[in-house]
Amino acid sequence: MLEAVSAMASVMGDPYLLGLITVTTILGIIIGVLPGLGATTGAALLLPFTLTMDPVHAIAVLATLYVSATFAGSITAILINTPGTSAAAATTFDGFPLAQRGEAGRALGVAVVASTIGGIFSILVLCLAAPMLAKVAYEFRPPEYFALTIFGLSMLASVGAGGAVKNLIGGIFGVWLATIGAERVTSIERFMFGNYELYEGLSFVPVMIGLFAISELLVQSKNAHRVADLVTLKAVKLPTREDYRRIWKTIARSSGIGTFIGILPAEGATVASMIGYSEARRWSKNREEFGKGSVEGIAGAEAANNAATGGAMVPTMVLGIPGSGTTAIILVGLMVHGLRPGPYLFTEQVESVYQIFGSMLVANIIFLGMGLYAAKLFARISLIPTAILWPIVFALSVIGAYALSASLLDVWIALIFGVVGFFARRHGFSVAPIAVGLILGHMVEVNLQNSLKMFDGAWWMILTQPLALLFLVLAFLGLFGSQIVKLITRGGRAS
Amino acid sequence: MRPLIIPGILAAFSVVIIYLAMQLKLSPPMIVGHSMQPRSFPIFLMVINLILLGILAWECWRAPPPAIELEGITTWISIATFAAFYFLTTYADFFIAIAVVMFVLSTSWGERRLHVAALISVTVPLTLFLLFDEVLKIRFPRGLITNWYYG
Repeated sequence: MLEAVSAMASVMGDPYLLGLITVTTILGIIIGVLPGLGATTGAALLLPFTLTMDPVHAIAVLATLYVSATFAGSITAILINTPGTSAAAATTFDGFPLAQRGEAGRALGVAVVASTIGGIFSILVLCLAAPMLAKVAYEFRPPEYFALTIFGLSMLASVGAGGAVKNLIGGIFGVWLATIGAERVTSIERFMFGNYELYEGLSFVPVMIGLFAISELLVQSKNAHRVADLVTLKAVKLPTREDYRRIWKTIARSSGIGTFIGILPAEGATVASMIGYSEARRWSKNREEFGKGSVEGIAGAEAANNAATGGAMVPTMVLGIPGSGTTAIILVGLMVHGLRPGPYLFTEQVESVYQIFGSMLVANIIFLGMGLYAAKLFARISLIPTAILWPIVFALSVIGAYALSASLLDVWIALIFGVVGFFARRHGFSVAPIAVGLILGHMVEVNLQNSLKMFDGAWWMILTQPLALLFLVLAFLGLFGSQIVKLITRGGRAS
Repeated sequence: MRPLIIPGILAAFSVVIIYLAMQLKLSPPMIVGHSMQPRSFPIFLMVINLILLGILAWECWRAPPPAIELEGITTWISIATFAAFYFLTTYADFFIAIAVVMFVLSTSWGERRLHVAALISVTVPLTLFLLFDEVLKIRFPRGLITNWYYG
């Protein structure tokens, strides 16, 4: 514990890291306020720039971007009724009406404070829960890992905007993508079509850049001529004592909800903020104010979405199962930099892990200051014309895709996946399940192969392992739980 | 029939993958042991996909999704620039290709100040090139400009 605290505190003694966190926080806020960019696209674009950094610095940069961009989405949600990130969608419900009443400063003040408290709470939980979960995960063998990845994949049903079936189809497509290249045990080439640059499989980075950045570029092409109006903002105000009295319970509740939802594999800040908002409304004594500018509504959504960032890092780092598109990119960052995600990270790289957590904590404190004193300036950035912004994103995307392996094939892969991602989204398929499926695909296949070897080909023996069975039951309930409940309640009513 | 087009295309894709997987070489039992053949896992995935696509087709049949509007010309121009980018990179230069695509994207997306679009299209790739080449030490593919720069 002392080691963890000292590693986290060491962030303050590393001026280079502090500088990186500060610059990335500013960058994260800029990315967060630009409609369409958001944490996931931002992380995909930033990843190539971290290639030459020390692993801790690189992951700290990505984690800081995640935290700050998630918060920043609320600035435009409140001021122009356009959430910078999907996680801030619930903030528009009350943030914009309050801003229209001339209280934009108050709305932003509540959002900043709630985000900071939610974020810090979740990082504290992350520091306590991650090592405990890692201890349990030490006992995992291939059957448990196989079942866990199946559980993670089953949770894809609720990731992103598509329906459950569409998300699962996307996830399976992602898992199939992971089979491209030479099979690890037999070296038999699969779906390479004679292209030996694919021997090691598809690189994650160009696929992520394509799915998130380039597909978003094409989506945004529909809004090419959009002009946004900015609500007048005089100054951001800290919540008053009366505001605090009204929102403290909401912040506490939403911080817990956000952290818990973030920990669940494949759930993320968007789901957390929606549940945080609806719970704030359910427990409020002033329900009639919701939708008209309630500070409780803003606090409920904002505390939850930022709390989800810390929570989502738990399965990402301890189990190697990403909770969202952004954590999928952070996971790729860990792999690219040679940090093996999983429980061993907590014995082999304890100091590095806590420095990353410390960086996230510092980022929360920095964005508190920036949110209070520079929100007006950041909001102006959101007015950059899309005709200037998105061509720059294109340049960053293709150069970033090239940079990892100095291969033009990676650039073509990014462009192809950009177009595939665009058409997928056009038809209601979310791209996050494809990304998560790609990352988990290798884990699923290898652990299934190893389990079969362990049990001499008797696959049903996997079901005799208690933890594996638990994960598979959870996966089953995750997929069919609601239908079973519906059937039972229908049967109950009929009788 | 319209609601079934997308499930149909995806099902055809799954069938093609199953066919391609069936063509993969078999590995000797000595190597594979009690585990799976390399073809088994992709086939298994695509069979699940076909089941899911069956459910999706049924859902689409029962409650047809709203018709999707055709994309505007801006989107198609943007996709076309990606193809142009491929040819320009292959036959001219990576950075010339980026600059041209940026300029076309910017103007087709509504930027009327051509000098601003041109300035952005030149300065952004140039800055990124210098950053990646000088700071991150990444060599870019040979082309008209990079040949001149690298010598």
